[in-house]
Amino acid sequence: MSFIKASRYSKRSPIVDVAAFLLVMAALTWVTATGTAKLGYHWQWYRVPQYLLTYEGGRWLAGPLIDGLMITFEITGASLILAFSFGLISALSRLSDSYLARMVARVYLELIRNTPLLVQLFFIYFVMAPIFDLSRFASAVLALSLFEGAYASEIFRAGIVSIHKGQWEAAHSLGLSTFDTYRRIILPQAIRRILPPLTSQAISLVKDSALVSTIAVYDLTMRGREIISETFLAFEIWFTVATIYLVVTVSLSIVVSRLERRFSETGYPVE
Amino acid sequence: MDEKLLGEEIIAVNHVYKTFPGEVCALSDFSISVRRKEVLVVIGPSGSGKSTFLRCLNGLEEVDKGSIIIDGIPLDDDKRNRLEIRKEVGMVFQSFNLFPHLTVLENLNLAQILVRKTSRKEATDFSMALLTKVGIPEKASIFPNHLSGGQQQRVAIARAMAMMPKVMLFDEATSALDPEMTGEVLAVMKQLAREGMTMVVVTHEMGFAREVSDRMVFMEGGRTVEEGPTERFFTNPKQERTRLFLSQVL
Repeated sequence: MSFIKASRYSKRSPIVDVAAFLLVMAALTWVTATGTAKLGYHWQWYRVPQYLLTYEGGRWLAGPLIDGLMITFEITGASLILAFSFGLISALSRLSDSYLARMVARVYLELIRNTPLLVQLFFIYFVMAPIFDLSRFASAVLALSLFEGAYASEIFRAGIVSIHKGQWEAAHSLGLSTFDTYRRIILPQAIRRILPPLTSQAISLVKDSALVSTIAVYDLTMRGREIISETFLAFEIWFTVATIYLVVTVSLSIVVSRLERRFSETGYPVE
Repeated sequence: MDEKLLGEEIIAVNHVYKTFPGEVCALSDFSISVRRKEVLVVIGPSGSGKSTFLRCLNGLEEVDKGSIIIDGIPLDDDKRNRLEIRKEVGMVFQSFNLFPHLTVLENLNLAQILVRKTSRKEATDFSMALLTKVGIPEKASIFPNHLSGGQQQRVAIARAMAMMPKVMLFDEATSALDPEMTGEVLAVMKQLAREGMTMVVVTHEMGFAREVSDRMVFMEGGRTVEEGPTERFFTNPKQERTRLFLSQVL
């Protein structure tokens, strides 16, 4: 097996790949450069670093973009935990024997998946927040986690039903309760299988969190907009903001693929 | 085997009906009684309802009508009764159904700790004793996927035994195994029978049935066609249908 793979890849030297990559990047850069030149855009990259980090009085201080990134982290972190909780609970509800639980979960999923996230965010911020006295931050987290939770729910459900029915039967025949069976038998196996789609969901969450800038939460995107309105460095700042999101999401994928490899090294292969 | 003294009735199945949606009757007015220490072997063509009968005995399938009483506990809608019965009835499946994310030892320990509430130390001691009994104590720390089919099934038997059940059910326990591995699993089952375990066994291994069982049941279409003491059942079956079936499988 391994030599087939090796022969397929060895046909092409890595130098060709690197050259092709550089060529594509050069072309993209050229297109952007000539495009902006036609617009008469005046690049001022030297003004960007101060918005990331500043050196003042002998120590480094975080600039507004990094401050914004921290808020983005806080929002995505909190939403991630809540979203996966909502997702798991609604998945279990949909699979439960209770008609009521199934219906509630169904209504939640349909409602969330068939309306735009932006509308949900506004609904929670402008309608629910005044009633329940929610802060902007709390509204943002609630809207994001309800939204992503609905998608995570389907992932959890698919993972759970993919576990062979024999596992349930074996657990039941040993006298395990449904709760213990989920906790010790079904979910540990399901999680390994659904880790890749859950990661994509987490990445979507990072990206979707940019929408909270619309309710004036000072996340990375909001900070970017703020800086642009003051400095008119539209191209530089949006490039920088996009790159920061990219670094975060790519790092996330790398961490999770490492994690997957660790799982498969325990001797129990992920099917 | 002949001089084995059977105890009082432990399983009472009375007029049980079970139908699966869109299918013919799996069990139709099925009744049987099993006594303590008895080894009952159920045979019959596929689709005769013998697996359904076993799965009803520990509540994996709910019966439509009729009653099942195990060791004095009725198997009804009461969840506590069902749990109590599952603690007392061990089951071994055709497809082993070991927990692949747990080591062999953890497979055996899990229910002891969660359901029987024994300490980890005690559970481990008992699990190791059981693994020694089924001949694979050296595999304790290995994941099930690294074991042969025969070894996996022996672990599954040990796992069921870890709950100290009063009854053991075997649902075609050797059907998924290569011929050279059936022997090692049947040997473990024979040992259990010798030790006086009450067993209900669905199998196609006629040699095993004849050697180990006290009583045979031949099922077809969800009903008992014939039942009787093993020796008479094989040498002199009363029903023509039984005779025909035996002539095909022996």
